[in-house]
Amino acid sequence: MKNMPWYNRLDLPGVTFVLFLLLAFSSLPALEGSGRDLDYWGNFLRFTDQFFPPDWSILGQTMTGLWETVQIAGISTFLASIFSLFLSLGAARTISPRWLVFITRMLLNIIRTIPSLLWAILAVVLVGSNSLAGVIALTFYSTGYLAKFFSEAFESADLKAQKALQSLGSSRWQAFQYGLWPNLRPVIWSHCLWMLEYNVRSASIIGYVGAGGIGLHLKLYAESADSWNKFSLVLLCMLVIVTFLDFTGEKVRKSIREKLEGKM
Amino acid sequence: MERCLIEGKDLSLRIGERWLVQDLSFSVNRGEFIALVGSSGSGKTTLLRGIAGDIPLAGGQTITHTTSPLPIGMIHQDLQLAEGSTTLKNVLSGCLYRHSSFQTLLGFPEEEKGKAISLLLKLGLQKKLHQWTSTLSRGERQRLAIARTLLAQPSILLADEPVASLDGKWAEITLGMLKQYAQAQDACVICSLHDLDQVDQFADKIIQADPQKPEKWNVLMNTPNKV
Repeated sequence: MKNMPWYNRLDLPGVTFVLFLLLAFSSLPALEGSGRDLDYWGNFLRFTDQFFPPDWSILGQTMTGLWETVQIAGISTFLASIFSLFLSLGAARTISPRWLVFITRMLLNIIRTIPSLLWAILAVVLVGSNSLAGVIALTFYSTGYLAKFFSEAFESADLKAQKALQSLGSSRWQAFQYGLWPNLRPVIWSHCLWMLEYNVRSASIIGYVGAGGIGLHLKLYAESADSWNKFSLVLLCMLVIVTFLDFTGEKVRKSIREKLEGKM
Repeated sequence: MERCLIEGKDLSLRIGERWLVQDLSFSVNRGEFIALVGSSGSGKTTLLRGIAGDIPLAGGQTITHTTSPLPIGMIHQDLQLAEGSTTLKNVLSGCLYRHSSFQTLLGFPEEEKGKAISLLLKLGLQKKLHQWTSTLSRGERQRLAIARTLLAQPSILLADEPVASLDGKWAEITLGMLKQYAQAQDACVICSLHDLDQVDQFADKIIQADPQKPEKWNVLMNTPNKV
């Protein structure tokens, strides 16, 4: 122990915790606000008071907006899954040469660095304010993440079945299709489902910058002073949809996981 | 047709500095069932992998006398199955080399399906055809791996402890199927086994690690109480 260098003897979790506390305390000035003497609690109560009761008269148009949001999320997740399958092959160290892995990973890093809202602004500039902009934005954004997840799945996959089939004379494609893909398919499908859930949430907000979906409704109601009860109905509907997707997505993913682990 | 299917001439194998096999010579004829016998760690798996060509020989050579498109097929101890695939598809993947990638892109020919189902019936897996492999028990998965290699129909079938996870009844049925395969297909089976009763019952020849000198292997004709 004594012969170990000082950095190996460091209690890394402890040190990082102390650093985290220092950061938190040095950030206290961020709590100062505007410095004006405002009645925060009173403001909050007045604001939330206007939320209730939600205005059910706009339920029809809200559902139309939500459906458009789900459509944007669905088609962009589908397109991103296809692009990601090809890109992830290039990004997987166990499959592709190092130069290709480097280039593909750099590209994916750049895609992931740009947040979905910024992708949406770029897409609106490109194709105008409509749902196509949302699809373009979320397709790029999701490809950055899905391709990373898929490539990690490729890298951690058990290659024994694939090799066994090759030793039984199958072609490389056949060994991939019947040896490797069946083990990867549930994991990849699980990632796609997660991305779909995530994209429904993202598609709700990108409408704020004109990329279609329910976000546009939210923006309109937020900007008109007396529409907070409409705003609250949109939030309520979004809550129902997102909770439903979260619940069913988690159920399906859990079932896939357990089946693959032989627990059911 | 030459009677001898595979010959080993002065085979030597080692892992690092440790010699596991030195100067082993043997020949296996069509229809024969050979048992590899030795204690754990004696090098049975290494010898099988050396014969299969999975690992390089430290000396000597193996010569096969077959024109089969699949000269050697191996049942691995760790089974090497596609866990997320069904029982039937795993067995059918043994016949892939007989068909082009295009032919198997969307499925398998009915004739192959018939053969696969017949094998699974004999191995007691007929009710699990469409079940994911990951949900089968260890013994069921072992029988599945055997069915896959039997469907592949290699000339020389190598089996690394193929009945290690099977109960007495299924071990006997399975070894019987392997022996019958060798005789019916003019093939041969080289199989590592621990149970000496099974060796006595099924083996025509025995390749046995010398208890006094582990890297030395002896080839014996099987007669009762020889092992």
